Amino acid sequence: MIRVLQLVADGVMAGATLAVPAIAFNTMYAVLRFPNFAISGLATIGAFAGYAANVWGGWPAPLALGAAFVAAALASVACELGALRRLRRSGPLAAAVASVALTILLENVVRFGFGNELRGYDLPVFRDWRLGPLRLNPQEIENAACALVATAALFLFLGFTRTGRMMRAVADNPALAALKGIDAGAVAVLASLLGGGLAGFGGMLIGLDASIDPLTGFRVMLSIFAAAVVGGLGSIPGAVLGAVVVGVGEECSLLLLDPAYRSAVGFLAILLVLSFRPRGLLGERAW
Amino acid sequence: MLRAERIVCGYGSADEILKGADLAVAEGEMVAIIGPNGAGKSTLLKAVAGLLPLKSGAVLLDGVPAHALPARERVRRGIALVPQEANVFPTMTVRENLEIGGFIEPQAVAARADALFARFPMLAEKRRQAARTLSGGQRQVLAMAMALMLQPRILLLDEPSAGLSPKAAETLFDVIRTLHREGRSIAMVEQNAHEALTIADRGVVLVDGRTARHGPAAELAADPQVRRLFLGG
Repeated sequence: MIRVLQLVADGVMAGATLAVPAIAFNTMYAVLRFPNFAISGLATIGAFAGYAANVWGGWPAPLALGAAFVAAALASVACELGALRRLRRSGPLAAAVASVALTILLENVVRFGFGNELRGYDLPVFRDWRLGPLRLNPQEIENAACALVATAALFLFLGFTRTGRMMRAVADNPALAALKGIDAGAVAVLASLLGGGLAGFGGMLIGLDASIDPLTGFRVMLSIFAAAVVGGLGSIPGAVLGAVVVGVGEECSLLLLDPAYRSAVGFLAILLVLSFRPRGLLGERAW
Repeated sequence: MLRAERIVCGYGSADEILKGADLAVAEGEMVAIIGPNGAGKSTLLKAVAGLLPLKSGAVLLDGVPAHALPARERVRRGIALVPQEANVFPTMTVRENLEIGGFIEPQAVAARADALFARFPMLAEKRRQAARTLSGGQRQVLAMAMALMLQPRILLLDEPSAGLSPKAAETLFDVIRTLHREGRSIAMVEQNAHEALTIADRGVVLVDGRTARHGPAAELAADPQVRRLFLGG
């Protein structure tokens, strides 16, 4: 029983970290209307930008997360303006395929600059905290807190600012938004900036928990996609719920399966949810 | 004030729904656009609003060409379309919908939203509710209120009574009558041709993408051919 509780706690922590890139994925999907798989390359860009700021620049991790956000946001806008904007006119499939190509391109840019070896952040070492029978890693708790802050900031931005409402309007109905004078092209750039930034932020959070290499983002791509689909494509709260479900599911699978099969849990979750709730747990475009 | 001349357009490169349609709306005038299904009535409004690119023809506002402008720029010049369907942002509250309606004039949003809440108390009561929870008639009123947030020079209404109960439709026509009495220029596509010609100043009959007839609404309503084809006798 204690093992189950420990795995659930670990899963919630992992899910909280996964929630940030999953929110990024759904933010971009809601506005741009295609699954942007470049998010894994952007997560890697963020992880390495954060590494450069933290290890080379001596910035503390919370500050380096800012560098991760900015670098990935700029890379995302470059992807949007350089390739995806034009390809979206050919339909969501063309844009999705192009985003896979972009993610490989971004990874190779990182590989070219940093090489293939594993790298770790410069972090203080803490002992695990004990909460009754449970052991909690302070770094994971800090990561979850950062993820919570980023998620809350996005909620406040979308719910209570004029620009956030503009983004939600385009996500709801782009043609009607145009009839209200909103420039959908500018909103697409903003969604890319915000989504890319969050992907980079999430990429560094994932790296803080272990180590990073050019495949850091690619390794979690399937879990991010699973979280987004399980919660509801285009839904921001759905991404949070989906990430926790996938995180807990992956951890709890260790009770029955070898860790090598962990990634299959995401696919199983997708299959189950799509079979019974095709629009995801919270529905498409739920706010 | 608004003129659409010899409009040719459609939804695809090989598709021509409109084959030379004309529409003219003077200041303070209300024009009803009637015609059979598939005649291109809604397409004409979309073309005027900028949602569809023209293959040929012109849209002029006060004699100034507007057809090269995107939809978001035509709104700034005072052309406001209320689509037949998907005309509110369903996940946003009534208040947020009005705020988006007045998006390009943010300094006026609060005062105009308050004025519209006073005008439509039903919207005020539901201001914190998501638009998806409103009934069909309430959504149409919200859609119209959103368009009014910018105090447009011309309102383009696409089948405002479609799908509404007779009572809700009558309430909506009362709103449209009031807007017209206040001097608002309106072009309205309406399946209920009888009601449309009753409240409009002029009528336009669209058949197969072309303007087949136009003239004073009362004259069209009395025309035997129009009566036979569109007014049920």
